[in-house]
Amino acid sequence: MDLNLGANQPIVELENVRVDYPGGVQAIDKVNLEIFEKDLIGLIGPNGAGKSTLLGVILGLIKPNHGSVRLFGEALKPKNLRLIGYVPQKAQLIDTSFPATVDETVLLGRVPGAGLFHRLNKEDHLRAEEAMKILGIDGLKERRIGQLSGGQFQRVFIAKAIVDKPKLLILDEPTTGVDSLSKSEFYHTLSHLNRDLGITILLSSHDIGIVTKLANKIACINRTLYFCGPTSEFETSSALSKLYDYPAGLMTHDHP
Amino acid sequence: MTTLNELMLLLQAGFVQRAFIVGLIVAVLSSILSVFIVLKRVSLIGDGLSHTAFGGLALGYYLDIVPLWVAAVVVVLGSLGITRAIRSTRISSDAAVAVFLQLGLSSGIVLISLARGFGISIESLLFGSILLVNLDQIIIASVILVGVLGVIFLFYKELVYTTFSETQARASGVQTWFFDYLVAILAGVVVIAAIPIVGVLLISALLVLPALTSIQIGKSFKQTIIMSPIFGIASAFLGLFVSLIFDIASGATIVLMAMAIFVAVLGAKRVSAR
Repeated sequence: MDLNLGANQPIVELENVRVDYPGGVQAIDKVNLEIFEKDLIGLIGPNGAGKSTLLGVILGLIKPNHGSVRLFGEALKPKNLRLIGYVPQKAQLIDTSFPATVDETVLLGRVPGAGLFHRLNKEDHLRAEEAMKILGIDGLKERRIGQLSGGQFQRVFIAKAIVDKPKLLILDEPTTGVDSLSKSEFYHTLSHLNRDLGITILLSSHDIGIVTKLANKIACINRTLYFCGPTSEFETSSALSKLYDYPAGLMTHDHP
Repeated sequence: MTTLNELMLLLQAGFVQRAFIVGLIVAVLSSILSVFIVLKRVSLIGDGLSHTAFGGLALGYYLDIVPLWVAAVVVVLGSLGITRAIRSTRISSDAAVAVFLQLGLSSGIVLISLARGFGISIESLLFGSILLVNLDQIIIASVILVGVLGVIFLFYKELVYTTFSETQARASGVQTWFFDYLVAILAGVVVIAAIPIVGVLLISALLVLPALTSIQIGKSFKQTIIMSPIFGIASAFLGLFVSLIFDIASGATIVLMAMAIFVAVLGAKRVSAR
């Protein structure tokens, strides 16, 4: 799809976004965010800071009470959402008793792009094969997803998210509950997707240490976005020390 | 107990053959849909809808208009209402279904008591009468079978994705609200088709058990949705046989057979896992 984007036009623009929870508590407020092509942005903040809410707004899952969301230079609509691959938090991925195989699951990523009344064809199967190879799970394709390890399970969902060649990949807390070996493999895969395949990536995490090593930009949220810029600036800015002012369970052990 | 000779004679009787045909149709309909219903975690929707249908049938008899058509309209409205309530975040989905179930049942009973003696037995509404099925009912059921399977075929991949994960499907641009309503409406249509055959109380079992059985052993989604109607048809045929042999209530025997198959499969799975 030709996006007709100028070189410097952001692919995601949030302007003054506010989301209220029922009962009037503000989940996020006055959020302005721009994501540019090829960015690898780490969204960090304490638990309950509004990371998932912010991702939900970009994905059209949560309607903001105030402010505007633009994707790829247009107002948010289903057509634009097809250009985004999404990997939810592990707990919300899916019920592991669902009777689907690895390749059936990855193929689901091709459903929205195929269009109504069109059946998935050979091309779709080839793409699924490719995506499974990239994630190193092509040997598991006949397995029922309930029989996979945590790391494999997550790879299946990333393969599903990239199978339709998205412009933007969004991952919500992808490292929660994944052991440290799979974690480093996992970050290796992400930087491959970003650098070699040119997929823009936005991932949320409370693991600041690893995110700052991986991402070229950092966005800090705690109800509002109080820092958004290059990782090098983040490390020398006051944002980090501000984060320490929020003691809500941040993992900072990788940092001095 | 029926002797073998008597059974052979029975199987040649038109009413018994019609029972097998309609049993086959209802089994295929309900068991394919049951895969989506069980995996969407709305297993009680059949209960809610069948009791709503009971209210609708009673209303039809009370108003003296073709009861099945009145019930059909009421059930379709009910399926829209139930889905709306399920999709709402304010009410939990099991409570939403319970409300519709109670509303249908109580209004049905009030309507029946208002006009005593509709000339039909409440018992046949509750338990169905598969052995009294006529040719018209078979034709209607066949049309419904073709229609429902056609709709599932058309929207198959979107239905599977929405069932797999409503959130993920919605986040990638699938109009999941449409498919949620679609499954509920299809369930309503199946309930209406099945009430004359297995009755209000038992159709909901056929909308759950075949899928529950095939999910246990299906190696893939494809296998699961192919095996489900096989279990459904087996339940219907074995149930009918047994009910003819022992001269017991057919609808209830079919449901018990579906449960027996579920337990047997579960047991076999345990044994083979050792």
